[in-house]
Amino acid sequence: MVNEKKLIGYTCSYIPVEILAVTGFKPYRLLSGEINLARAGEKILKVDACPLIKSNLSYILENSDKFACIVGSTGCDMARRMFDCLQELSDIPTYIINNPRTDKPEIFYDEIDWLVKELEKLSNKRFEPELINYEIEKWEAVRNLYRQLEAGRRLQTASLLSAAEFAQICANYHRGAIELEIKTTNYFNPPIGGLRKSTKPSVYLIGSPIPYEAHSIIEMLENEVRLVGDFNCGISRFLNIKIQNKDLAGIKQAYYKQIPCIYKRPNHDFYAMVGERLKELACQGIILWTLDYCDNYEFELKRMEKTFGLPVLWLRSDLSFQNKSQLKIRIAAFAEMLRQSI
Amino acid sequence: MPKKIGLSDWSEQFKLVSVEQIKKFTYYHNSEWGIYLSPPATFMVYGTRELKRLKLDNSFAALRLWGFVFNESERLFRAKQIGKKVIATMGDLGIVPVIIMAFPDCVPFYPECIWWTPFFKESTVLLDTATQLGIPEATCFSKATLGAFYKRAYFPRPDAIFASTGASCDDYSCIMQLVEDLGYEIVWLEIPLRKGQKAYPNNASGRLEEYLIGEYQRVWKKMVELTGISNKNQLIKSIKKANQLRNLVTSIKNLTYEAPKAPLPGLELMTIEFGNLYGYADIEEWIDILKMIKRTIEDRIEKGLGVLQEDAIPIAWITPSADPLLLNLVEDAGLRIVQTEYVINQALVPIEEDIDPFRALARAFLQASLIGKTSERVKRIIAGVKEGKIKGVLITNMLGASHCAMETGLIMRFLSAVPVLAIDVPQPFGITEQLKTRILAFAETLKH
Repeated sequence: MVNEKKLIGYTCSYIPVEILAVTGFKPYRLLSGEINLARAGEKILKVDACPLIKSNLSYILENSDKFACIVGSTGCDMARRMFDCLQELSDIPTYIINNPRTDKPEIFYDEIDWLVKELEKLSNKRFEPELINYEIEKWEAVRNLYRQLEAGRRLQTASLLSAAEFAQICANYHRGAIELEIKTTNYFNPPIGGLRKSTKPSVYLIGSPIPYEAHSIIEMLENEVRLVGDFNCGISRFLNIKIQNKDLAGIKQAYYKQIPCIYKRPNHDFYAMVGERLKELACQGIILWTLDYCDNYEFELKRMEKTFGLPVLWLRSDLSFQNKSQLKIRIAAFAEMLRQSI
Repeated sequence: MPKKIGLSDWSEQFKLVSVEQIKKFTYYHNSEWGIYLSPPATFMVYGTRELKRLKLDNSFAALRLWGFVFNESERLFRAKQIGKKVIATMGDLGIVPVIIMAFPDCVPFYPECIWWTPFFKESTVLLDTATQLGIPEATCFSKATLGAFYKRAYFPRPDAIFASTGASCDDYSCIMQLVEDLGYEIVWLEIPLRKGQKAYPNNASGRLEEYLIGEYQRVWKKMVELTGISNKNQLIKSIKKANQLRNLVTSIKNLTYEAPKAPLPGLELMTIEFGNLYGYADIEEWIDILKMIKRTIEDRIEKGLGVLQEDAIPIAWITPSADPLLLNLVEDAGLRIVQTEYVINQALVPIEEDIDPFRALARAFLQASLIGKTSERVKRIIAGVKEGKIKGVLITNMLGASHCAMETGLIMRFLSAVPVLAIDVPQPFGITEQLKTRILAFAETLKH
């Protein structure tokens, strides 16, 4: 039985939701992007900390009674250091897995084993193979359904499903609300008369996680372009997880071998795998969306332009969206440029 | 009389240095071209323009120190010229060079130490180059490293590059990735997160040690491929040498911090501390310089002499300043540095000599400043505050640097018993009157 009252917050796409779910708590991806919370976070962190981290920190502290624990990783330095703050400012149990930057599967696998032991102690529950298998089946079924939806997003002619709608659906996954019914009928059946061909250029979204409150950026983008795919922790990156063997070893392999984060060193595999996606989806451009001070993506802008060979529109945000008008103009100009080059 | 003096005073003082003394001190034991003693004005003319504004200690030992440090670029090019292998070690700040120095004619260096160059040279060339190569404006000044690799004029092309990444600062990890993208071949090493006894109760840091040992063995293997030599006894000797340096520096720091009058300025002390990373590309000569520094300090203490006033207020300094001028300004405001946390704890701690050398290096690294919790990083300073030895704390940050943004608030909280001033070090030429006023106001607060 899922304990509806308690959440198990997590910060990273390398943390297996299946393992979190075995505890009986609800896995909840920390994607708080509320500007007032981010400002509140500045009582503890400097103004040049990541807005997502500032917002998440405030969110957790304001809602500490909702969380059974928080699980993070060493993926991003600021996200990791948020845990120092949590350990000092709250009593919520925290666990950080050492997510190696270089190719060190043994470290990752050891850390997952460690996390399992810690969560067993926390939840007072042994993670028997049957329980793990049950969660794998459940979450894999959800991911399969989402993959079918995602296919509707990237049809060659036009989307059956808008990226904004899809992002909202993905938010359910991130919030652990996978039991919610998704009305899929409309998304799989084209309307009578067929689909109207879209004239908007196809683009791919990469970058900092898009928080729950920031989906308006997707709507803004869709007014001008078609978002046919994304590699974004706040949207559908989780679809890259495919667990073959329905056991703990299978979980470790699937999460370790997913399309790697851009912070992995070296990050050639990120470029190779995302590059393949861009070709498969026949993308005409890339939207790089970064939060302020997101080193891992901001440093790579020029490399992306060079390596992917596609026009890149870089949008930077502090979560306030005070620059909405400018964003609209920039997006429209980008779309116009892409249309002219088609 | 010990004091801090400027360029013109140093030029006058240098006239008293005999030719024999100038020829006596050389790097790589080469009397033909290894001379490094020059009046600081020479380096200013060659481009180290901030020397016009800096004040340096007036001892002969300090003259040796600065001549040697400012000569480093030439020394690295010389090393290559005479057939030595120049090895860039990046990111780990203090351990990999100990392995490199176990191989004959191999000279390790840290490209990130070039982060002082824009300030010493009062030039944003390296920073601008880094920006043109894609690095955002608000980033750690270690981005100068990328500019240096691109321009190829600050050090020779390394024969090997080891880049350590992991549970440490993101800025430099991203910089190292861009260096690789310039076409340099890099051997990547993993830095694990230090979780401590609570995380791994049965074997406190055992697994972390094993991971690191594996990485250091990879370094060893690469160096064997490069040199054709593999002699583990040399690693033991290298560790002993590193410890000789570390013990010397600890002794210098303790003497200086505990003396009634500061016998050596903070800028020289910071330079000495960073020498632990790799001995500025000639560890033998560097150790000799520090022995002279230590004798100078001991002499000054014995005579009751110092470079600062006796009532200078003791402070701790957290995170090194990229701009050396700040250390002068802080002391001019009536403060003295009695404790530091310069993100290089792993380069200061003694390395165990009675266990397997790779394990010893791993254990030393596991005491690194940035791979664990912030509270661990400032433990010594908290103790110093409690003992009443530290009256205030200065934190120097870089805008946009990942660990600075996240740690500063917590550090201020841990050290709330004393006034804490946190400032963002500005770009070269960026020290404004407002910043000076803040430092003076901080000093006033401490005085009262």
